Amino acid sequence: MNRYFGNRLAVFVFAFPALLLFTAFVIYPLFPEMMISLQNHDGFKSEGFVGLANYMDVLNSQTFWQANKNTLLVVALSIFVGLPISLMLALLMDAQTPSIRRFFKAAAVFPAVLSVTVVAQMWIAFYEPTWGLFNEILRTVGLGHLAKQWLTDKDTALISVAVALFWQYIGLNALLFYTGIKSIPKTYYEAALIDGAGYVKASIKITIPLLQDVVKYVLIISTLGSMALYAHVRIMTMGGPGDASRTIVYQMYYTAFERSEFGKGTATAMLFIIECLIISFLINRFVAREKIEI
Amino acid sequence: MTFRKFEMNLVNYGLKVFLLVLGCSFIFPLYWMASLSFKSKSEGYDNPFGLPKVWVFTNFSKALGKYHFFTYFKNSIIYTTGTILITLLIGSMLAYCLSRMEWKYSKTVLIYISLGLIIPIEVVIIPLFMMVKQLGIKDSYFGLLLPYIAFSLSSCTLMLYAFFRSLPKELEEAACIDGCNIYESYFRIIMPVVMPALATQCVLLFMRIWNEFPLAFIIAGRDRLRPITIGLLDFFVSIGVADWGLIGAAMLISSLPTIIVYMIGNEKIENALTAGAILK
Amino acid sequence: MSKYLKLFSTALVGTSLLAMTACATTGKDASGTATPSAATSTPQSSPNKKAKIRVMTITTDEARNNIMEKFIKPNIEAALPDVEVEFEPGGGGGDFVNKMKTYNASGDLPDVWYGDSTLAPPIMEAGNLLDLTPYVTKDHFIDKYSVPDALKAKDGKVYALSSGSDTYFTPVIYYHVDMFEKAGVQIPKTFDELVKAAQTLKSKGFVPISTPGKGGWSTTVFLFQNMVQIGDPQAMADLVTNKTDFNNPSIKAGLARVEQLAKSGALPEGVANLDYGPAKELFTSKKAAMYMMMTWELPDLAKDPTVDFFPFPAASDKYDSAKVAQFWGAPLNGYSVNAKSKNVEQAVKVAEFLAMADAKYFESTGAPVALKTGNPTGELQPLMKKFLDWYNAVPTKIASYSINAQDAKVAAEFATLGQNLLTGQYTSDQFVKDFDKTWKENTWFK
Repeated sequence: MNRYFGNRLAVFVFAFPALLLFTAFVIYPLFPEMMISLQNHDGFKSEGFVGLANYMDVLNSQTFWQANKNTLLVVALSIFVGLPISLMLALLMDAQTPSIRRFFKAAAVFPAVLSVTVVAQMWIAFYEPTWGLFNEILRTVGLGHLAKQWLTDKDTALISVAVALFWQYIGLNALLFYTGIKSIPKTYYEAALIDGAGYVKASIKITIPLLQDVVKYVLIISTLGSMALYAHVRIMTMGGPGDASRTIVYQMYYTAFERSEFGKGTATAMLFIIECLIISFLINRFVAREKIEI
Repeated sequence: MTFRKFEMNLVNYGLKVFLLVLGCSFIFPLYWMASLSFKSKSEGYDNPFGLPKVWVFTNFSKALGKYHFFTYFKNSIIYTTGTILITLLIGSMLAYCLSRMEWKYSKTVLIYISLGLIIPIEVVIIPLFMMVKQLGIKDSYFGLLLPYIAFSLSSCTLMLYAFFRSLPKELEEAACIDGCNIYESYFRIIMPVVMPALATQCVLLFMRIWNEFPLAFIIAGRDRLRPITIGLLDFFVSIGVADWGLIGAAMLISSLPTIIVYMIGNEKIENALTAGAILK
Repeated sequence: MSKYLKLFSTALVGTSLLAMTACATTGKDASGTATPSAATSTPQSSPNKKAKIRVMTITTDEARNNIMEKFIKPNIEAALPDVEVEFEPGGGGGDFVNKMKTYNASGDLPDVWYGDSTLAPPIMEAGNLLDLTPYVTKDHFIDKYSVPDALKAKDGKVYALSSGSDTYFTPVIYYHVDMFEKAGVQIPKTFDELVKAAQTLKSKGFVPISTPGKGGWSTTVFLFQNMVQIGDPQAMADLVTNKTDFNNPSIKAGLARVEQLAKSGALPEGVANLDYGPAKELFTSKKAAMYMMMTWELPDLAKDPTVDFFPFPAASDKYDSAKVAQFWGAPLNGYSVNAKSKNVEQAVKVAEFLAMADAKYFESTGAPVALKTGNPTGELQPLMKKFLDWYNAVPTKIASYSINAQDAKVAAEFATLGQNLLTGQYTSDQFVKDFDKTWKENTWFK
């Protein structure tokens, strides 16, 4: 048996292909990235090493901080607004009649399987200022003064894009929570009901604590997802107006490809990696009691 | 008491309506694309969300004439299925190796591979793009396939790792007695046992790769290599532009395959997705 | 369990089937335009195989679409029998520029494209812009130009072939005569009158002025320049030649006029995200009464008998629309060829053919061209005649700031801030503050 599991050749055969690809395309690129970030590079040729100048430039640029603020705002909204709403939806689903639940379950994942291009285009139509759905509704109910140029108003552009992102994944998250709820043994609730607890109390006391694993999973997925927000921004606002809705990833793309400054683009990327590491660490440290395994 | 009951009913009723409305919003895109695709250019602006007042049937043929749907669709299928198949194969092998085989560095490798969870694909776009260019695979499907596979490996391996650990060692012992070697027993005995986990990964990977945008946007620059997400955006900004009828038709054609798969396999997709959250 | 198994095996079978069909079709061309012989032949080029040339042109601009449908597609096969041309639609406005920049960085540049001087510098720097001089000299194409020197860039080389009609592109304000009558609005003579006319039109429920603002396009291409020019033409001329900067009060005043237009509601709601196509649609569908756009749209717009145009109205007595106008032409405008193309010779031929097609089209609309087509001049539309009578008599023509003064970084930043200016939430002072540093680091004039 030892020869069976300890077969060196077999270990190599089983582990090598995956490790090779993983190393070559996930880990290795970090090294050239670091090298480029220290050079004045236009994507074709290097004009020589400049030390940490790119990092200083990036850290001194207002747009970088604007992009950071935007990204963190989206992350915060997804954690403190998006997730609670999904959880509430899951609890609601649990309390509803089977027919409504079946309908909701069937519809919930649909936006998530739709192409992001389609979803973004639909929200563009919703937000369109003259004939778009939202302004039309506001005008119809007599709240015309609240009508806005959603995607070109610097105060609403980012939030509008974020809402499209949340809408796309909120149903999926609710479904994940719901499945978690279903896996909680009924006996817990029976005990609580005997104690005279109402539905709301039972949810807070029993359901939510027991959902920890699922919460962790959804938290990680949606945090990393909103950290790397790019496609929705690219299609809906192209980061505009000005830099009002740029995310870090968009800023990285813009710096490298539109300004032809690959050195600064990679410096932005390196700073972003550090942020991702910090956020992962924070989630691990404060939310997940044990090690996270997805 | 009765008043309280009435109040409760009202709240319950309200919540019901809320869920229904939200549920409807999730399938609204379907209605929206379909109704748009039958509208004329001017009606796209005058009546953007209602049913078409005048039904126009030429949008589909016009859109198909200018929009390389079949190419994009074929490309999306190649990227998605290629990534799924190879990732599942080599990812499960690595997971098996890490969880069942005895070697010195398995713990280290496990941590190493977990790094992939923290590094989003977007972050290494620039060096990846330069590498792919230098390797000369930019003008082939491998330009996107290899990075996709590499970035899918972490979550796939870690999930399957947990799964393999829960299996009893007796499985292989029995095989060993029957005279199977490790390769035979892996493909004949272990793989079939972990099918549910593989199916889950299959769905998760599909959703990720089918909709992947940033890398495809940069690397698959050539029209003939573009997946649907990118091809569709290009149609919006280059051809459809002002004609929402054409845009609607292009969107509907592009989404139809996904919609059909979703309608047929809805419950299975759901099960697979949720399995990903609970399976640890 | 069996459920999963079924799902998975179905997926597997499906995949392998698709993979098979995919393998079978990889040889085929993406555009679906491939001829049967091209689809079956091996990628290795043999002497009698057609050279494949990928061309990207602007596809939202009506003039370019007309050229494509009426002058290029019907004639290209007969003119270039040994070439197979694949056209890739490039979109227009900011989308076209961004797409080309990404293509340049990623090495996906087509063999031939319609370029301008915003695009040329980064492409040239990457070594991707072909010096056409030896080719067009050898085949005497250059002799067909009435002023060959006009094609030469700063370094004396030819990088782009144009029809020469570019110098006749200038921005004007189109308007619907009937809509003006309905609203009781006169053609504005001054900038203040323009703002007032816009307010009147708005109060009657019309969109006053349409113009594409996505990616800051109209600000970049003409709005900023003309808003400066109508107050102080000299300041604009100085800016294009790098003799002044954005702290010049006249430049600031121009920016303030853009801001004023945006803030007064003269532009459509959401103009900062308005695409080229929808902006034109607003005007042609008579939702908007005015349309600020270049004259390359004139032949198409003139089909509507209610459309007329007027030059940008004055904001001070330093400006007279009969004496000053912006002109678009620049040596780097026109069809350029990828230096790394596999079929450079044929690509140059295609570029020459396309430039000639442009010339034939513009000539047919009555616009003068610098390229000798050998055709008799077509019938002149009245609106085109009106335009030429005005434009030919203008003594001072100022080169376009956006394509004659900005390097890649400055262009990207100017577009970003120019879009900001259109939101009405951003002041011209802020613009100067944010842009000044970038402008001073401009490498264009070095």
